Amino acid sequence: MMSLASYLIISLILFVVGLVVMISRKNIVAILLGIELILNAAALNFVAYSRYVTNNLDGHIFSLFIIVVAAAEAAVGLAIVIRFFQIKETIHIDEATQLRN
Amino acid sequence: MFLQFLFISSAFLTIASAVAVLLTKNIMHSCVFLLASLIGVAGLYATLGADFVAVTQIMVYMGGVVILMLFAVMLTGGKDFISRAQNLLGLPASMGNRWTYGIGLIVGLVFLLTNIKLLMGITKSLPVKTITNEFPSTVNEIGHLLIKEHVLAFEISSVLLLGALVGAAIIARPRKQN
Amino acid sequence: MNQTVVSYLSQYEFYDVLLKLFGGNQGLLALTIYLLLGVAIIGMCATIGGLGTYAERKISADLQARIGPNRVGPYGLLQMLADGVKMMTKEDIMPFTADKMLFYLAPLLCLTGVFATLAVVPFSSGFIMADMNVGIFYLVAISSLVGVGVFLGGYASNSKWSMLGGMRGASQIISYEIPVTISLLAITLLAGGMGFGTIIGRQGGLPHQWFMFHNPFAFLATFVYFIGALAETNRAPFDLPEAESELVSGYHTEYTGMRFGFFALAEYIEVFVVCGVAAALFLGGYQIPGISIDILPLQAVQFVIFMTKTLMLYYVVIWIRWTLPRLRVDQLMSVCWKYLTPMAILNLVGCAIWMVAFDGQSIAEMILGGQH
Repeated sequence: MMSLASYLIISLILFVVGLVVMISRKNIVAILLGIELILNAAALNFVAYSRYVTNNLDGHIFSLFIIVVAAAEAAVGLAIVIRFFQIKETIHIDEATQLRN
Repeated sequence: MFLQFLFISSAFLTIASAVAVLLTKNIMHSCVFLLASLIGVAGLYATLGADFVAVTQIMVYMGGVVILMLFAVMLTGGKDFISRAQNLLGLPASMGNRWTYGIGLIVGLVFLLTNIKLLMGITKSLPVKTITNEFPSTVNEIGHLLIKEHVLAFEISSVLLLGALVGAAIIARPRKQN
Repeated sequence: MNQTVVSYLSQYEFYDVLLKLFGGNQGLLALTIYLLLGVAIIGMCATIGGLGTYAERKISADLQARIGPNRVGPYGLLQMLADGVKMMTKEDIMPFTADKMLFYLAPLLCLTGVFATLAVVPFSSGFIMADMNVGIFYLVAISSLVGVGVFLGGYASNSKWSMLGGMRGASQIISYEIPVTISLLAITLLAGGMGFGTIIGRQGGLPHQWFMFHNPFAFLATFVYFIGALAETNRAPFDLPEAESELVSGYHTEYTGMRFGFFALAEYIEVFVVCGVAAALFLGGYQIPGISIDILPLQAVQFVIFMTKTLMLYYVVIWIRWTLPRLRVDQLMSVCWKYLTPMAILNLVGCAIWMVAFDGQSIAEMILGGQH
């Protein structure tokens, strides 16, 4: 029941769902939700390998860094979203077509 | 037994909420389901004996990221843009018709089978590790690893966080009306 | 090592007798003990929460030279039952335009976040549901669920006042989490561990052995923690999310009946937990002065000591609420970011330097010559 394979399958499902969220949604915040799911799938893999394969805790360290990067990414991403909304008054991803102004 | 119960419930929570994130039309609800999914992942970490990582996950996501996302949804009107034409899964029709999905399924299956075939060999050659149900504390060891072997990554991540903090504050600051 | 209440009880003989009663089924016995204790703790804390409302009215009446509730029961003690009955029999109103799912979910999230913290509150050396080695970290993490609950409650009501209250509440909670967490980190540094058992074990029963008087920085950290935690529980003078003069009653304006009761109960229990954590981390927790042996009857004494310290802090919280005026929003944020956070960081660095420079000795140890 609880084996490396089951964790990898959960992680796979999480990854695919995150990918589909990223592709199918048109709202920038929803795309960020998808990114969070994908990053979590990766972090889960690291911890699972750390328990079932290696004998050290490097996997834990790696997933801690993934959490840190995810938090930083969310903060900057959402700041950009709010700025974008101030300029365009929408957060439809297809409206983001200009590099300046 | 308790561990298995925790595992099954966390796995169910993770996957069901992740699918709910995908299928929910209301973006606010999506954020709440994302929170549930991330708590499920924290539960999975706990079943893997990663107590520190599990609590960090709860701390960062529940206390920070999800609240930020809820704020962003609220400040940007909370509209979600679902295209009118949808297929059976509730996904926009622009993602493909049955032919693209069929081809994708076949390619995916072939890819999966080849990967299983390849990975089986690797998995068998992995060092056999005895898995016990004893969960030793990981906090001390993680602390030592962070300031000895991974100290460079640790410092770089602190710089990254500082950069993200300043950058987010500058990007989102109110615009001057001129 | 993760200690739990079951592993504590299992070192006594009557545990074996109980085990025989359960037919040698370890898991079932452990589950029963956890369930019983969980129900006991939740019941106790719900009573404390209920008594909190009574205490609040009585103490405020005392401070304002009034009498306070005195009709129901002796000294008005049964007022909380009357309030409870009133709360439960009220009509459960939901605004027509409310977001139904989130409206139902929000009070439950608040209550869950608060009850989950009770798992690590150390009532005595054995009576702590799970002495996790990530104890304080877990407590800080899981109690941020309250912030989500407050925010969602404000959003889901679909009312201007609720929304403003919810946004204020969430931003206040996530801002004040930073000084609170950093001052807890300073204590972690002094104790060399994050579990409550470890932290309290490093302190003694007498005031000069407490972490509050360990060094000047820890003394400051006590106040930073207490102010920050007070703000996190949305209590006056930081009760901006429910400021009745501006926002009716903030994020729970639209809630009625038992759902409002959940919010109120969560708030009172959270105050209790915050006071308990302050007592455990800074005021020596359950340590009995002068006695360091650990036998079962002394657990009751430890419990009484812990509760005394906690309830005294509870009195201080109510006292502060009825004495100080409310802050403005900009003052609230500047208190957090310009004063408390730099002070907390200073405390952390100061504690680290103290630990290296004086080999981890407290002031009292240095004066008294290093005796423990």
